[in-house]
Amino acid sequence: MSLARRAAGPWRALRWTVAVIYLFMFGPILITAAVSFNASNRSQFPPQGFSLRWWGNALSEEWLEPVLFSLQLAGATAALCVLLGAPLAFILTRQRFRGREVLVALTLGPLMLPALVTGVGLLQFFQYMGLRDYIGFPSLLAGHVVISLPFAVRTIAISLHGLPPNLELAAMSLGAGRARALWEIVVPLAKSGIIAGAVFAFVHSFTDVNLSIFLAAPGQIPVTVKIMGFLEFGFAPTLAAVSVITLIVPLTVVGIMQWLFGLGDFIYGDARG
Amino acid sequence: MGTRVGEAALLLKGIEKRFGLVTAVRGLDLAVAQGEFVTLLGPSGCGKSTTLGLIAGFFPPDAGEIYLGGRHVENLPPFARDIGVVFQDYALFPHMTVAQNVAFGLKMRRVDRAEINARVEEALDLVKLGGLGSRRPLQLSGGQRQRVALARALVVRPTVLLLDEPLSNLDLKLREEMRAEIAALQRRLAITTVFVTHDQGEALAMSDRIAVMNAGAIEQIGRPTEIYERPATRFVADFIGRTNVMPATVGAAGSTQVSLVTVQGATIEVATAHSLATGARALLAVRPERATLATAPVADALSLRAEVTQILYLGASREIHLTLDDGPAVIVDLANDGREPPIEIGDRVWFVAAPASCLVLPA
Amino acid sequence: MIGIGEGRSGLRWLVLALPCAVLISFFAVPNVLLLSASFMRSEASVLIDEFTLDNYQDILSGALFRGAMLRTVIVGLGVGALDVLIAFPLAYFLVRTQSRWKGLLIALSLAPLLASVIVRTYGWYVILNRSGAINQTLQGLGMIDQPLALMPSTGAIIIGLAHALLPYAVLTLMTALSAISPNLELAAMTLGASRWRTFVHVVLPLSLPGLIGGFVLCFSIAISAYATPAILGGPATQTVATLIYTFMMNLLDWAVGSALAAVLIAASLLLLYLASKLGSQRTAL
Repeated sequence: MSLARRAAGPWRALRWTVAVIYLFMFGPILITAAVSFNASNRSQFPPQGFSLRWWGNALSEEWLEPVLFSLQLAGATAALCVLLGAPLAFILTRQRFRGREVLVALTLGPLMLPALVTGVGLLQFFQYMGLRDYIGFPSLLAGHVVISLPFAVRTIAISLHGLPPNLELAAMSLGAGRARALWEIVVPLAKSGIIAGAVFAFVHSFTDVNLSIFLAAPGQIPVTVKIMGFLEFGFAPTLAAVSVITLIVPLTVVGIMQWLFGLGDFIYGDARG
Repeated sequence: MGTRVGEAALLLKGIEKRFGLVTAVRGLDLAVAQGEFVTLLGPSGCGKSTTLGLIAGFFPPDAGEIYLGGRHVENLPPFARDIGVVFQDYALFPHMTVAQNVAFGLKMRRVDRAEINARVEEALDLVKLGGLGSRRPLQLSGGQRQRVALARALVVRPTVLLLDEPLSNLDLKLREEMRAEIAALQRRLAITTVFVTHDQGEALAMSDRIAVMNAGAIEQIGRPTEIYERPATRFVADFIGRTNVMPATVGAAGSTQVSLVTVQGATIEVATAHSLATGARALLAVRPERATLATAPVADALSLRAEVTQILYLGASREIHLTLDDGPAVIVDLANDGREPPIEIGDRVWFVAAPASCLVLPA
Repeated sequence: MIGIGEGRSGLRWLVLALPCAVLISFFAVPNVLLLSASFMRSEASVLIDEFTLDNYQDILSGALFRGAMLRTVIVGLGVGALDVLIAFPLAYFLVRTQSRWKGLLIALSLAPLLASVIVRTYGWYVILNRSGAINQTLQGLGMIDQPLALMPSTGAIIIGLAHALLPYAVLTLMTALSAISPNLELAAMTLGASRWRTFVHVVLPLSLPGLIGGFVLCFSIAISAYATPAILGGPATQTVATLIYTFMMNLLDWAVGSALAAVLIAASLLLLYLASKLGSQRTAL
């Protein structure tokens, strides 16, 4: 039975509170978007007049290049996170073995320690291992995979957790080998979790600042880092327009994936893991 | 039982409740006497749980009045109604011990410490959980949690005890045990009780009166024997126990007696409370255990030609499935008297029911 | 779980070899390097192989460092407190509402996670700067003559970070609150508890692990956040994170930078330990 329980008064007060909270959440983001259409060259709100020239600047070579760089980086990060994360998730959810706890700690470690610290550590790693030529895309990719992997593993693990192990046993009892049972039963059933894991890794990589600021190289700069660099010289509305672009990209990716595969459950599930 | 409205412990008058476009309860009237055990029985979605929620004050009715102990309560919140509720999932507070759970209502009523302790102990003894007060709900078995929930509801000595399918999460054996125990406890404490269930067995065994609900309204209310022996409608006849129902036409109608013409043209005189016009369509209902089989038609009884289609041995009885010639399939329960009835599948037999075993229902 | 629990050990480690190699080389080893660097002397970004505690002595005694650490803790506390305070009513509403927009509302409350923290902080710059929305409004209304110096300031950093990290608190609290059956609240009310007492005696104690979890999560992300303090703060409002960046990238004093990073590691581990302690008391029923 579902017994709704709510007194009109307190519930209405709660609804107003919630409305104010949503305003708090989205106000600053909407303001950023509004500023990008500002006619004056200062980041003013309310905007003075209407102009698309900041968007013209934002869509020029100078800014499209780092956006594309970030896209490639996030795409590669997502792919690697699934390749590395799916076997990890499977073995961690399904098997008990010596060293499992260590493996869990190693996998979730990058989530427990600040990304900034991992960035500092990686910078030194590439420097002192004689790999300084690889600072740039390779170092960024290594860092992004490491900090995004826990999200992918957790998300995939959640989808595997919901699968009764009996399904694999049933497949094997019907004559499927271990690999066959995995490929034909487990992978299709965990598909939405795997895709959600890839999406989370993509978004995490695309929006990262804390790690990337230590690992970029000239010509190999993620868009977020480039914005940070320019902010030191002032808040031109061009940056507002670029910021909005960095919002649109992950929003589009998630929207498409949601439309194709339905990820809703995992966004929520991610917090439980 | 004849409850006079003035002395009802609980009174619902013209209660209506809609959720969006769905009308969950429509124009419901119910009076429960002091100390009475009334069951709201019906299939899921019939409005029984909604009615309970309205009595408890979980949501307000859209129309109608509710009186508890003579007090007008439909605008009061649950905590001002003086009720005790046992929830289907027990709703025990997981962060409190058993004793703290039971004490909660007393604490809210600002009863002093010493009395709380005494009454909690008394309540736990009452439900046979003495000594388990310091346990946590999650450490208890399903049956024990049920008892804690009962103790928590009873300890505040509420005007009315509301039970929302409290037995449905227990296994069969425990359910039958608790059924007897709750009924005994209710009689001993003489506490006015409204019990919601979809299980007819619980309703028949425990209730002073049963209100059978369908589509948001009470279809029939009465003592268990009345409900079972004299169902007023086809819905009640079908929902409580099993019934063989066959179409019939009213031959001649008197005030208390009606002559019915059934499928095979057989005529039978049956007592009825319904007023039916001659020539009207009606239904003839016979409980499987009230019918029998014969090798020849029986005088002064309904006798219909039938063929045996299946025989199920159930231990205490045999369930014989038949198909009436030109009529529906029917069932006869034959009590096990130690002899094997001389019937086989495919046999041609007579389905026989005495007039006293026949019921007329409006079509 | 017959046949699933064991698996073949050799095969397992073969499958795990690559992920483990990645995590060890790009996570474990760099952190070990960082810790060892914090105990060395450095000249620019070249470390000199010589054990020393000077770096830690520096950061524990220097006024700049102590100020930054204190400010970082204040930021963490402020962000944690503000976020659970704001997230609680929102999470409660999202868990209990029967609105048909529920799914959309939940998605909206988490959507800010898709935006880089820069996007979310930029708006606060526009609101808080000298010629920003607040100052313009107040001046327009004639309430102030001179623009208020709302930023750079610690307060601006706290507000910006609280805004950026709110979804984490909402997620944590929603998980905790959705585990509380609405029947428990009903039960308390049928037992005579008013709405307020129901909240205090039932909802609040049961959501305490979620409140602590949300607080600790926001606190730990806040103390290591770089972008927001860099944008809404200034030279006078350094946090540990902005100092690390300055020492690593501008001053090229990697030894001190590493020691500061090691402090963040220690703080994160301590918080994890505290969270598991506080959390386990409640869940071990």
